[in-house]
Amino acid sequence: MVERTIGDKRLKMVRGDITDMEVEAFVFDITEDAKLGSGFGGAIQQRGGIVIQKELDEVGSVPTGEAVVTQAGILKADYIIHVNGPKFREEDEKGKLERAVTSALARAEEKGVKQIAFPPIGTGMYQVPLGLCADVMVETISRHLANGSDLDEVLIVVQDPREITPFEAKFKEGA
Amino acid sequence: MKKPAKTHKIKMMEAQLATKLNRQVVGSLVGCVHCGMCNDCCHYVLSHPDDPKMTPSYKADQVRKLFKANHDWTGSVFPWWVGADKAALTDDDLEELKDIAFGTCTNCRRCTINCPMGVDTATLNRLMRGLLTNVGVMPEGVRVVSKDQWELGNQMGVLKEDYIDTLEWMSEELEEDLGHGEAEIPIDKAGAKIMYAINPREVKYDPRTIKEAALIFWAAGEDWTMPTEGWDNTNFGLFSGDDGLGGASAKREYDKARELGVDKIVISECGHGYRSTRHEGVNWSGDAEPFPMESSVMTMLRYIKEGKIVVDPSKNSQRVTFHDSCNNARSCGFYEEPRELLRLVTTDFQEMYPNRAEGFCCTGGGGAMSMSEYTPRRLKSGEIKANQIRATGAEVVVTSCHNCVDGLGDVIKHYELGCEVKQLVDLVANALVLEECAVMKGRPATAAAPEAPAPTAEVEEAAAPVVAVEAPLAGRKILVVDDEEDIRTFLVTVFEDAGAEVMEASDGDECIEKAKTYKPDIISLDLSMPGKSGVDAFVELRKTAETESIPVCVVTGHPEFRQVIYDRPVPPPEGYLNKPVDEDKLVAYVAHIVETKEEKAN
Repeated sequence: MVERTIGDKRLKMVRGDITDMEVEAFVFDITEDAKLGSGFGGAIQQRGGIVIQKELDEVGSVPTGEAVVTQAGILKADYIIHVNGPKFREEDEKGKLERAVTSALARAEEKGVKQIAFPPIGTGMYQVPLGLCADVMVETISRHLANGSDLDEVLIVVQDPREITPFEAKFKEGA
Repeated sequence: MKKPAKTHKIKMMEAQLATKLNRQVVGSLVGCVHCGMCNDCCHYVLSHPDDPKMTPSYKADQVRKLFKANHDWTGSVFPWWVGADKAALTDDDLEELKDIAFGTCTNCRRCTINCPMGVDTATLNRLMRGLLTNVGVMPEGVRVVSKDQWELGNQMGVLKEDYIDTLEWMSEELEEDLGHGEAEIPIDKAGAKIMYAINPREVKYDPRTIKEAALIFWAAGEDWTMPTEGWDNTNFGLFSGDDGLGGASAKREYDKARELGVDKIVISECGHGYRSTRHEGVNWSGDAEPFPMESSVMTMLRYIKEGKIVVDPSKNSQRVTFHDSCNNARSCGFYEEPRELLRLVTTDFQEMYPNRAEGFCCTGGGGAMSMSEYTPRRLKSGEIKANQIRATGAEVVVTSCHNCVDGLGDVIKHYELGCEVKQLVDLVANALVLEECAVMKGRPATAAAPEAPAPTAEVEEAAAPVVAVEAPLAGRKILVVDDEEDIRTFLVTVFEDAGAEVMEASDGDECIEKAKTYKPDIISLDLSMPGKSGVDAFVELRKTAETESIPVCVVTGHPEFRQVIYDRPVPPPEGYLNKPVDEDKLVAYVAHIVETKEEKAN
C-alpha cells in the first residue's frame, strides 16, 4: 500500500492477516508467560498446530522487550518471532516498544531471514497508542535497515483504516 | 495508619476516568441519594437478599469513590463522608473491583427504571469495567474474547476460512432442502441492497439460524449479501467497557458496508449486536455517516406486511412465551415489533410477567457467559427468570438475542424447566409457505422449485432403479465419550445408523487411552463426568501429539463447556451441541466437521 526504500532495502505497509501470509518470518506480540492465547495466537494455534506452543513451553517465559524464535508449524511462514511488547499502559511504553522491535529484528538477523512482517505491536487490546506505535516502529525499523542489515524487506501488516491512517502518515513523513 | 502510595495502574485509571466524564456519567455519579429504590429491581439482590454488596448503589459507589477523590469538591472537603478516602489505591484493590464490576452485575439496566434521580448504574458499572480493562485487569474469559475481536475481527476467534466454509455449507444444506441452488448465500456481493451481519455464535455453534435467514431472504426475493469482513454484529466493547474496541469493531462493519455499496445493514437477532451496531457503535467510532440499520426482526415483519413472505402460524402451535433482551428492550425501546411478529407466526403466545422494560435479565448480560468463574452466582441469580418462565407454562421461550439463548438455556437446565429456547428466525422460517412467497410469483403455484424439464424416456429408464444413498458417516470412526449409559447408547445408535464405526468411553481417562489407540476421525465428548472431567480430557487431548489433531465435538448439557471456549487453554473444540441433541443435527454437524478436517488436510 505504501512503501519506503532505505538504500536497497524496503519497508512496506500492507493489509492482511499476518498469521496467514507467505513471509519468511512474522512477529507475534506474546505475553510474558509465553502462551499464544487467543486473537492472533489462536489463529497461529489453529492454523499452525500445537508444535508452536510446545516449543514455547520449553522456553517458559519471554521478558518484556525481549524476543524468541519458534518454528511456524504448518503456517505459510518459516518462523515466528515472539516478542513481548508493552501492555496495558505500563510505564515507559515508548522505550519498551523500541526494545521489542529491536529484539525482533535482531532475532530475524540471527536466523538469516531476508523478510519479516510486523503487526502494529500492542495497539489493540494492549492499549498502546497508534500514533506512538507508528512513530516508534517506522523509525526503529528504518534505522535498523539503514545500518548494515541483512534483511531485504520489512512489512508492517495492518488490518483496517484505524491502523492504516497513522502508519500511512508516518510513512509519508519520511518520503 | 499511613496510606499506601497509588500504584501506576491506579494513576492510569484516574487519568482515564478524567476522559470519560460527560454529562450522562457525571449525572449518575452525583445523583445517587442511596434511597434503595433500585434494590428490588436487581436480580442479584433478589437472589442474594442478605448480601449488601449486591445492591446497585454499592456497585456504583466503587467508581463514585474514584470520582469523588479526584474530581468532586465534596471529596476534598469531607472525603470521609463521600467515601473518597476509601478509593482504590493498590493493585489488590483492583482485583476486588474486578469481581464487583464483572461478577455481580450484568449491566441489564433494570435498576434504572425505579430510580427517582435518573441514575444509570449500568453506565457506571461499564465505566468501571472500561477503567479496569484499560490497565489489564479483567477476567480471563474477557481477555480471551477481547483479543479475538481486536485481532481476528470477531469475538469467538472464527477464522475467515471457517466462516466462509460455514456459509458454503449452509448454502449446500439449502440446496438439499429445496432441490435447487437458487437460495445460495451471496458472499461479498457488491451493490446488494442488504448486508446481513451476524453473531459469531451462529457460525461456531448454531449455523442453522444462518440457513433459516438465507431461506427467508430468498423467499422474499431480497437482494442481499453476507460480507467476508465486518460480519460480526456483536461488539465486546459494549460488555468490557473498552470504547476503543467498540469503535474499531463497529467501524469494520460500517466500512465493509460502504465498500460493498449496500443500502442497509440488517443485524441478526442479537440484543448486544443490535445495541452496539445500531446505536452505541456510531458514538464509539465517531462515524459521521452511519448507514440505515435494522434488526432482522423488523426486516422479517416488514416482509410479511408487504406480502413478500407468507406464513402459516399453525406450523408453530406449541405454547410460546417471549423474553425481552435487556439490550433490545430496556436500552433500545424495541418491545412491540418482536411481539407483533411472534403473533403472526405462532398460535399460542403467552406473555411473561413482568415484561418489556421490566423484564428480568436472562443472566447472559451480553457476554457474562465468557466468565466461567462466576457461573454459580450467575445461575443463582437466574432463579427469578426461571420462575417467570415456569409461570407461563410455555414449551418454547422465544427471544431475539443469542446471548439470551445461551443464558436462558442455562437457566432452563439448571432449574429443570423442560422447555426449549428459539429465536424468531426459527419460527418464521418454519412457518413459511414457500409456494406463496414473492420469489415464487410467476411460477407454477404448486412448485417450490423451478420446474424441472420433462424427463425423457431414457432418463426415466435410467432413474428407475432405486439407488442406495450412502450413509453420511460411512467409513468414519467415532469415539463416543459420556458417563451416562443411556446417552452413550443413544449416541452410538445414531452414529451407527449413519454408517459409522463407533467406540465408547465412559470417562476422561478412557477417552484419552482410546483416542490414542483407536485413532478416531472425531470424538463426541461430554464434559461433565466423574473422575477426569471432559474439560481436563479435552485439554490433554489437545496437548498430546497423537491426539492433538483429532476433531472434538462437545455434546453437553452443562455450562462448563464455556470454560474450553472462553478461557482458551488450548484451541477450542471444532463443534458444540447442547443436550438433548437432535439426531439429524448431530449427524450433519459431525459429518461436516470430519469433511472440513479432511479438506484442510488435503
